Amino acid sequence: MQRAARSLEHKALILTLVLGCQALAATFFAIDVAGDIAEAGLGWHLSIELGATLALVGGVVLGAFHVRSLIERGRQDQALIAAARGAMGALIRARFAEWRLTTAEADVAIFAIKGLDVAEIAALRGSAQGTVRAQLTRIYAKAGTASHTGLIALFMDELIDPASTLAEQGEHG
Amino acid sequence: MTIPLTKPLRNWDPVVKLTHWSIVAAVLANGAFTEGGSWPHIWVGYALTGMLALRLLWGLVGPREARFSAFPPSLSRALAHIREIKAGKVHDQSSHNPLGALMVYAIWGTLGMIIASGIAMAGLPPKAVSHDRHAVQQVAPDHGEEREGEENPLGEAHEAAVNLLYVLIVLHLGGVIFETHRSGRGLVLAMLPGRR
Ligand code: HEM
Repeated sequence: MQRAARSLEHKALILTLVLGCQALAATFFAIDVAGDIAEAGLGWHLSIELGATLALVGGVVLGAFHVRSLIERGRQDQALIAAARGAMGALIRARFAEWRLTTAEADVAIFAIKGLDVAEIAALRGSAQGTVRAQLTRIYAKAGTASHTGLIALFMDELIDPASTLAEQGEHG
Repeated sequence: MTIPLTKPLRNWDPVVKLTHWSIVAAVLANGAFTEGGSWPHIWVGYALTGMLALRLLWGLVGPREARFSAFPPSLSRALAHIREIKAGKVHDQSSHNPLGALMVYAIWGTLGMIIASGIAMAGLPPKAVSHDRHAVQQVAPDHGEEREGEENPLGEAHEAAVNLLYVLIVLHLGGVIFETHRSGRGLVLAMLPGRR
């Protein structure tokens, strides 16, 4: 669940470790270069070293911005998923009530919408596959659809508006 | 199927966690294990400097609750917070509470003093830990003299700041324990690695 947000979080963690190493290196070089310059004055060799150190510091700053954006994207992902979940839950409850599913049918229907097949649902509910198949048939009939994909599509169809979805994607890209 | 309307528990971002625990490790290492003035002591001190610098940078560019602007040092807010504690009011805080904020700045300031006096004492790298190892020894005699005479003002400043840091750490731990009891939230969990 929430795999995308997790992987963003994972990336942020790895980059943080890299950033930490870079910060250490930048500090060591900065102190070293400062010491060298205090000792020997700013020759051409030390100017180059100073330049390299400043570049490293710049890299750390940019890295920090990058980690921040990863963290924020991860949080946004999670917030979106939470919001979508809330809305999806409400929609499912509304439809199930409308179709007058029994409690057992509602349970089976949830698993079916999540994409589980008959064998998996039967195993999860500890019932026979024949029972689940019969329940699914009744669910399809009440929902006015003919198949598993049809049931899922009922929800997807209502949730996804191609026009606005594609427009948003254009904005991002 | 509950709708998660409650705000997620606080969880510090990885940079805050990394810098916090690196600083803890460095303070522990230099307080308990390395010998003052020795080259491991100096390198650990530089590492601590790097981590502190990263945290301060993060205070400018990090996510909102990690930024300085989320926990400004303010006596009046700290006093208001004490009144709230007395009144038994607990409200959600996405960053450090006003008292915690004062503590954070005090710890950072003290670490800054320790770092400045340490570098001033050891000298910058060519004198302290240059690429040739023998230079390291130059530091040790300095330190020896200072041990005997206790006259070196830098050494005294360094030690005074370290003692102040220890006091602050005790207060910090006290504050964390107190706040954990008071608010009953996973204050420490939020600072531990790998929790969502
Ligand atoms: C050498 C010892 C320690 C030092 C110098 C230290 C320093 C700090 C600093 C500077 C912060 C602010 C973090 C930031 O915003 O970057 C902080 C926060 C925190 N520290 Fe420590 N710390 C020490 C030990 C500990 C220990 C052992 C614990 C765990 C029991 C701990 C728990 C926490 C917690 C929970 C916070 C967040 C407080 C909040 O939510 O406002 N610290 N510490």
